[in-house]
Amino acid sequence: MTSEILILGVGNILFSDDGLGIRVVEKLLENYQFPDQVSVVDGGVLGINLLGVISHAHHLIVVDTILNKGKPGDLHRLAGADIPNRILAKNSLHQVDLLEALTLCQFLDHVPQTVIVGAEPMDIETLSAELTSTLAAQVENVVLMVLKELEVLGVPWKEKKISNGCHHT
Amino acid sequence: MGKRIMIDPITRIEGHLRIEVEIENNRVKDAWCSGQMFRGIEMMLKGRDPRDAHHFVQRSCGVCTYVHALSSVRAVEDACNIAIPDNARIIRNLIHAAQFQHDHIVHFYHLHALDWVDIVDALKADPVKTAKLSANVSGRPESSEYFKTIQDKLKTFVSSGQLGPFNNGYWGHSAYALPAEANLMAAAHYIEALKLQAKAARMHAVFGGKNPHPQFLVVGGVTSVRDLNIDRIKEFEDIWKETKAFVDEVYIPDLMAIASFYKNWGAIGGNNEAFLVYGDFAENSSESRLLMPPGFIRKGLGVEKLDVELITEDVTRAWYENSTPSHPYAGKTEPIKGEVAYNTDDKYSWIKAPRYDGLAPEVGPLARILVAYGKGDATAKNLVDQTLKKLGVGSDALFSTLGRTAARGLETVIIGDAMGNWLNELRSNIAKGDKKTYQSWTMPDKAKGFGLNDVPRGALGHWIEIEDGKIKNYQYVVPSTWNFGPADAHGNKGPVERSLIGTPIADPKKPLEVLRTVHSYDPCLACAVHVIDPHTNEIYKVRVV
Repeated sequence: MTSEILILGVGNILFSDDGLGIRVVEKLLENYQFPDQVSVVDGGVLGINLLGVISHAHHLIVVDTILNKGKPGDLHRLAGADIPNRILAKNSLHQVDLLEALTLCQFLDHVPQTVIVGAEPMDIETLSAELTSTLAAQVENVVLMVLKELEVLGVPWKEKKISNGCHHT
Repeated sequence: MGKRIMIDPITRIEGHLRIEVEIENNRVKDAWCSGQMFRGIEMMLKGRDPRDAHHFVQRSCGVCTYVHALSSVRAVEDACNIAIPDNARIIRNLIHAAQFQHDHIVHFYHLHALDWVDIVDALKADPVKTAKLSANVSGRPESSEYFKTIQDKLKTFVSSGQLGPFNNGYWGHSAYALPAEANLMAAAHYIEALKLQAKAARMHAVFGGKNPHPQFLVVGGVTSVRDLNIDRIKEFEDIWKETKAFVDEVYIPDLMAIASFYKNWGAIGGNNEAFLVYGDFAENSSESRLLMPPGFIRKGLGVEKLDVELITEDVTRAWYENSTPSHPYAGKTEPIKGEVAYNTDDKYSWIKAPRYDGLAPEVGPLARILVAYGKGDATAKNLVDQTLKKLGVGSDALFSTLGRTAARGLETVIIGDAMGNWLNELRSNIAKGDKKTYQSWTMPDKAKGFGLNDVPRGALGHWIEIEDGKIKNYQYVVPSTWNFGPADAHGNKGPVERSLIGTPIADPKKPLEVLRTVHSYDPCLACAVHVIDPHTNEIYKVRVV
């Protein structure tokens, strides 16, 4: 009954490009069908409150905006050692965000294999429920990145309907 | 002038909180509390359909999504004169209560306990003695083998240099008072609470459709129509029972055990006289009886009737264009033009300063327990009196950091117990054939309303004005605005600022004592921007200036 693969969009839709992860997850839910072991979750900015869903996953695909010294719109994929390590970053005292929630999984003896995909944001400060046009243009590509991750894991998926600019066999 | 230190940010859970304190003769002489981020969601709501407001406001916070949605639909229901069906009231209560159970457990163990528990010291503990201690004080005693396993796990973290969530703590600080065995027991329960909270969060999904971001709330009721059956209620009940057992057998005994080593904190971190409670958890359809009674305390334990007309917001010391203090209906959100400058002698925060009859009341668990106690609520009175007696402290100790932390535990018990009654009510309604969960209504052209609730962090209110069926004005005043607000035009400081004054500080470079009081308020400043940055992790700063 527990899903093994979790696609987790995170971010705040009220701060323009910060909502990328959520917009990608919305697209995935709208246009694609996945087998039962895949769950697609809109995580918002819930931080430690996501531990419940994270701690059930064997594979975690996080979708988020990523500041990675690139240009706005650049696509990024972080895995393994590239994932910022709060453990070493001397960042927190008692505070817990998504990455710390991952660290806390170690206490539950269950750390999911994690990959983070997303794009360099242009604007994460303006209060707006819309992505900038630069990032909006990348939503579909980030969707494809997620689908590719599923392929690597050997998980099939189906399009709900045929739409322009999006194909798969 | 004393030495000033600044802690920034206090929390990464939500938003950006900066605390600056001035220390003289090893005590806090003055304190400033600053919200470092502008929240202007109200501006985004103008012109939208009132029925959509809750979808937006629930995104303003990463921790309390549901509670904002609830206040928002209540505001629209008030404006449009809608009485929700009994089942909707009960389901809203249950989900809201589930939020309390989850939030308070996480707060105690994962956000606050390490202010009191020296996790590194736990490595020195004798697991055999720890097992004995747990047999004496815990409702869920464990063997020495169990504690040995926990200790080994902690050792692995520490020896690898990877303290994870425990990194950068003030381990070994002289203000830590627990024996090593108690530290180890608490560390074990930290991990147990992690497992439990993951389950408790699932209560939301039963009637909420999904979690996170439950989607069952609508103006007029709830949409959990298909969940109104015995199986779903049982599913909820099973998780509730497990959570309740944890609260009774682990949380409360831990709270009492830890508090018994920190009785001196019953005289630190108070300084607030005024307390405000909106109240919540309607016990009947007319909503005339609330589990958490509303009220206002001006001083001591005398409770006055709540009058929401007395609420104003002052922006003299906040980064908004100066205006006279106004009620939220007339509230404006006009950030000052140009660059903002942090100046503790002038403007220093993005948080407005809400006032009730000109006073700066504290909101939250302590306020709620004090109002219930002051009103003679039998359950609250009984619990509080027992707790004071067990700890061997007087009622003065309530007005403190210790009292605030204890109040949070006590209300977890009160609300948890009430959940059982609501589940029974729901069952009996279904048995009677009452499955109504939604009241239909029509949108007026013009209306005004407000929605109040009392949420884990305190009094939350949303105010809405509707014109031509659209939102004309929307304002909300959140618990952290009350508690973490700055001074006002008259120089009255906000509750957290006041609480910090007089706190003893052993080492200004390691202001653990400041964190104890700040964390006891469960800081949560809304609208965190969330990005992954693999290169420049923010550094937790303590600056001595």
